[in-house]
Amino acid sequence: MYEKHLMICGATGCLSSGSNQIAEALKEELDKQGIKDKYRLVMGGCPGFCEVGPIIVIYPDEVFYCRLQTKDMAELVETHLIGGEIVEKLLYKGPDVEAPARFYDSIPFYFKQKFNVLRNSGIIDPESIDEYIMRGGYRALRRALQMEPLAICDEVKDAGLRGRGGAGFPTGVKWSFTNKAPGPKKYIVCNADEGDPGAFMDRSILEGDPHAILEGMLIAGRACGADEGYIYCRAEYPLAIRRLITAIQQAEEYGLLGSNILDSGFNFKINIKEGAGAFVCGEETALLASIEGKRGMPRPRPPFPAQVGVFGKPTTINNVETLANIPLIVREGGVAEFASVGTEGSKGTKVFALAGKVRNTGLVEVPMGITIEEIIFDVGGGIQGGREFKAVQAGGPSGGCIPQDLINLPIDYDSLTQAGAIMGSGGLVVMDDRTCMVDLANYFLSFTQKESCGKCTPCREGTKRMLEILDRITEGEGVPEDLDTLDSLAHSIKDSALCGLGQTCPNPVLTTIRYFRHEYEEHINEKFCRSGICKPLFQYQIDQENCNGCRACVRVCPVEAIKGEKKEPHEVIQELCTRCGSCIEKCRQDCIMITRVGSEADVGN
Amino acid sequence: MEKFVDPCCEKCSHTKDTPCKDFVECCVEGPICHENQECAQKRKNITEKVALDEKFVIS
Repeated sequence: MYEKHLMICGATGCLSSGSNQIAEALKEELDKQGIKDKYRLVMGGCPGFCEVGPIIVIYPDEVFYCRLQTKDMAELVETHLIGGEIVEKLLYKGPDVEAPARFYDSIPFYFKQKFNVLRNSGIIDPESIDEYIMRGGYRALRRALQMEPLAICDEVKDAGLRGRGGAGFPTGVKWSFTNKAPGPKKYIVCNADEGDPGAFMDRSILEGDPHAILEGMLIAGRACGADEGYIYCRAEYPLAIRRLITAIQQAEEYGLLGSNILDSGFNFKINIKEGAGAFVCGEETALLASIEGKRGMPRPRPPFPAQVGVFGKPTTINNVETLANIPLIVREGGVAEFASVGTEGSKGTKVFALAGKVRNTGLVEVPMGITIEEIIFDVGGGIQGGREFKAVQAGGPSGGCIPQDLINLPIDYDSLTQAGAIMGSGGLVVMDDRTCMVDLANYFLSFTQKESCGKCTPCREGTKRMLEILDRITEGEGVPEDLDTLDSLAHSIKDSALCGLGQTCPNPVLTTIRYFRHEYEEHINEKFCRSGICKPLFQYQIDQENCNGCRACVRVCPVEAIKGEKKEPHEVIQELCTRCGSCIEKCRQDCIMITRVGSEADVGN
Repeated sequence: MEKFVDPCCEKCSHTKDTPCKDFVECCVEGPICHENQECAQKRKNITEKVALDEKFVIS
């Protein structure tokens, strides 16, 4: 028996901040002290709080150590493991806690979270099927094997589960379509082609709890009458793929995958298909083409995949997070428990990748219906540097921008759609008052434009024309008619693009025009970017009254564009200034102002 | 018995080729097809080794 379990976050986020080296240093230290057999070290799944990684949680004490460095390991071993005392300096500290916090229940980041999908992440060894079984794993499969397939579809319908990949279609209804489609050969496809910039929900689920996905696929197979499945995962997720391969091998060894599973007569096999990273392959028909070895391009529907899917056979395609919810629903009493969380039209929880200008970045799982304010301020800890919240981009590059005015908007499928955004796969990018919304729309549209597969004209040509207009506006060459042209092009693309990605890609432009029209007008009519992002549309000026001549800006300017004597107000030489922003970041007096080109107006920073 | 898939004794017949319908429950609550304290203890040993706390195992 082990005295303690040392759960180290072994997900990609913490690995990139050095958790492998932490594990090595810890092993070395335990070895040096001759106590390595007393402790169990596990590279577990993601506990979500990526901002403070690398993380170790020590059980059964439940102590949460964060921002670890290899040099801390000697003290952690000597003080905590040998001495039995908590190492205070390695605990979570922040403006949201009065004293260093010991564990989840004392860290505000976790207060409003509810772990359904991430229930095992950071708790089990993701490479152990035994631990998954100990946590109730494969019980829902066992139950599903005793049920009629359509009864499983009905339970999933009754639970109110909607697809977590973007569109929010009711999962049980989708399953029943495939079930009723004629033919003996059917497929289940797990869409793990997570392509939104900054999104890593699916990756974390796959890395932290791969058996949950296999169990979800098996149950889907039973419900739909399928005997084979594909997991389509991007090759940039090598750890997720490695853990899936291990999980599949284990499930086969245990007789939970393969022929006559649990003596039920049900057969199911799972294949992994690695994608090359094209954004469009997240679209279901493009994904199916890619599995078949063809170029990843969408095709018109109908026929829908439930009738004609991969290799021409009826196919159900579900996202990773959708499938991870299935074992919770199909287990005994699962429907009522699942449906007890969320709103009328959006049941359960949703996992979001919280990124941008928020203090606590990371992976969060919250009940549907939580407000934007709660996510950003209670879970996310507010805006970095105490600045003002301006907007949040929900749903990835095809999502929409929700402004500060709608901060009380509940996060559910219907409310987001009404606001012009989409749930998408769950990316939430938070913006502060220094974000230029025209530049932001330009950024997201340039992403979707580059990733357009080119098959349909509205998306291929329309996004290009829209991008040209946005480029002109950010360069100071916008004309008043541009807004109407953008609006008209955006609606044309929405109405006529071939696939969901094309139809939603104008969303960032439409929502920023809807909620931040004045910024577009300021760019076009006054040739001014008050956020100080579009370089041709502003200049830096130093407030002569407040500058104390500390020379911090002079020292940091890479092109020597600031002049002035020590203790005398400085001045920006506009002809030399490249508007790199180094000075404004460095100034402690807040006396570098963003002003109109050639003007003396005081706008403030 | 190092893993749940290992047979606890000659009475356990579960393999991928000769599957038992009760295998999943049997892992934590077993043995189900026969009564034997030693076989139950073997399963308990596997869970006790890795269970982080008393809430870890879900039956």
